[in-house]
Amino acid sequence: MQDRPTSVELLEAAADFVDRELVPATEGARQFQARVVANVMRIVAREIKMEDPLVRSEVKALARLLGHDAPHLHSLDDLRAAAAGMGEELTAKIRAGEADDGGWRGEVLAVVRQSVEDKLRIANPRYLESDIAIRNAAKPQKEI
Amino acid sequence: MEKIEPGEMVRRLTGFIRTEGRFDSVAIENFRKMPGGASREIWSFECAMERGGETSRRAMVLRRDPGAHNISSNRRHEFMVIRAAFEERIPVPEVFWVSEDPAVLGSAFFIMERIDGETLARRLLRDDTYARAREVMPAQLAEILAKIHRIDPVKHKLDFLEEPGDNAALTEVRRYQENFRVLALEPHPAFELAFRWLLKRVPKMARKTLVHGDYRIGNVVFGPEGVRSILDWELAHLGDPMEDVGWMCVRAWRFGNDQKPVGGLGSREDFFHAYEKASGTAVDPEAARFWEVFGNLRWGIITIGQARTHIDGFLKSVELASIGRRTAETELELLNLIE
Repeated sequence: MQDRPTSVELLEAAADFVDRELVPATEGARQFQARVVANVMRIVAREIKMEDPLVRSEVKALARLLGHDAPHLHSLDDLRAAAAGMGEELTAKIRAGEADDGGWRGEVLAVVRQSVEDKLRIANPRYLESDIAIRNAAKPQKEI
Repeated sequence: MEKIEPGEMVRRLTGFIRTEGRFDSVAIENFRKMPGGASREIWSFECAMERGGETSRRAMVLRRDPGAHNISSNRRHEFMVIRAAFEERIPVPEVFWVSEDPAVLGSAFFIMERIDGETLARRLLRDDTYARAREVMPAQLAEILAKIHRIDPVKHKLDFLEEPGDNAALTEVRRYQENFRVLALEPHPAFELAFRWLLKRVPKMARKTLVHGDYRIGNVVFGPEGVRSILDWELAHLGDPMEDVGWMCVRAWRFGNDQKPVGGLGSREDFFHAYEKASGTAVDPEAARFWEVFGNLRWGIITIGQARTHIDGFLKSVELASIGRRTAETELELLNLIE
């Protein structure tokens, strides 16, 4: 058991320092790198907060898609390994043409989209939000 | 790669330019590293040269390999392609000297004219200064692209350019499929779906031309009046000219300005139309879409490659490392395009 601040609090404090102090004090290539550093720290902070529930639901969705029983896993390492293993299984099926058309294609696309969106929730949530906004704007409006 | 301090670089560079240009004396001033250039180092300097009592001054740029790298290309070839473009009056920097001798600066490099102006796409898309540039650039970029596709590789002795085979589209998809298999460290089902989509829609190659290979807003020097120069010719090859058209439409170059698919500046229709007018050849929208999907996939694979450059220790860089987490952006766009 570690003392406060938590890892997320420490990272956010460091990222705030980089954004507020280092970015304005640098220019050119160094300023750009400083922005990248702050962004990387915020990605890690989001990952610490959100990875566990996201990878749990990804494992469940992949198992359902591939017709496996949902595995009962607890550690994050086991969950990551299960997601990677089923991901390999899925890509092998896609390469074999099993998702080219037919009903299963729609299920594959939905699960793959969910996994990709979950990566963006950690790597770049603003990109995901703007993508969803664009897609909603492009959809024909339902009459009320 | 040998580590050379900037002071030592200046000393060696001075000797190199004096010998290559047969000058009596050369003085380099204001030698500094430029931002950007994730795959190549860029150094900027002023060069004063004297020969037989006549002096001249030029603003110059040195483009140098950072050593071992995942995406290999040849500095001499790039130098020759830029020279060909310059001779065909395409806006490019004038190129001066090239060297592949590691004894000079540790790795291959060439020296060219520095074109003053802006290269940051975000400024182009947001700043009031560039309102006029935003208006004129889509048509300018289409016209310049048509000129690039008219460069005669035989006339300019560009015989080192890779041949695309019977169908450039299929060749490129296969090439990137191989790259992807080697580079990817995790399963990427979105990319696998995109490869399947592409392989079912390979377009016929209507023309075989010189292809710039990295024709996007980030490789354009611009001013308030519009395009000043086209940079980064290291990926030039022979192929289907629609490859460059599709690459211009890749989402990553829109910087959030998604309602304008061509570099965040304009519509596909206007860009295709301007290209058709300038080149005298029709743009098949389905072929352009194929190349847009391919372009997004290619960018996604490049992001994996850039992350690998860091992960494998070729070049340790927080910028390259962080690009590995941008792969998902491309995956999302590919799903939007192929669903």
